[in-house]
Amino acid sequence: IALQRLMLQPGGPPTKVLCLTNVVSADELKDDEDYEDIVEDMRTECGKFGNLVNLVIPRPRPDGEPTPGVGKVFLEYTDVEGSSRAQQGLNGRKFGGNPVVAVFYSENKFSEGDYEG
Amino acid sequence: DGSGTGRKRKSRWADDEPKPVIQLPDFMKDFAGGIEFDPEVQALNSRLLEISRKLQSGLPLDDRPEGARSPSPEPIYDNMGVRINTREYRAREKLNRERQEIISQIIKKNPAFKPPADYRPPKLQK
Repeated sequence: IALQRLMLQPGGPPTKVLCLTNVVSADELKDDEDYEDIVEDMRTECGKFGNLVNLVIPRPRPDGEPTPGVGKVFLEYTDVEGSSRAQQGLNGRKFGGNPVVAVFYSENKFSEGDYEG
Repeated sequence: DGSGTGRKRKSRWADDEPKPVIQLPDFMKDFAGGIEFDPEVQALNSRLLEISRKLQSGLPLDDRPEGARSPSPEPIYDNMGVRINTREYRAREKLNRERQEIISQIIKKNPAFKPPADYRPPKLQK
């Protein structure tokens, strides 16, 4: 049952990678200045929960082709403790007015650059 | 370029709102029974007990008199020619469905609830 409960957690068992959804719009990401702002906001806030090693915010391609993961923010921490604290702390917080959904993301997919999931 | 310096702006992050849920330490939860005092959960629990008793009693499950019943569905037979959807079978299925539904609701309200071993979480549908 403990295992079941673990699996029922949002996004499955904790990983070092956290995925924030419902955060940013494609329009905001197109604008360079907005993009820099968002990266900066993320880095400062998410760094409070643990040691942030990687921050990926997929941007839409200029040619308008759909890009996987646009609208999401991926955070990689050095350890699960950091990502878990961030998951607790960020889930439900508002970013630019949107309530953020924070779920753990597969470390393998992340390291392969797969932001589809 | 104006990146970084001089641009004073507010972070897009809203202030950290205090979490509305009061987290009791785990050992306290067991001690206090916590959410079990929620009247809604109590109602669900007693209905669950009632259903479980009925299912295990072996008594006829559908005891409504002849006139009070709605028309039966078309009979379904298995390949041996034995009827599958008897009144008893349908009543049992109905109670089982309600039972699963109640367990799902209790779990939703109280994630620490230990469901019976035969409980299967409902399939998520897209």
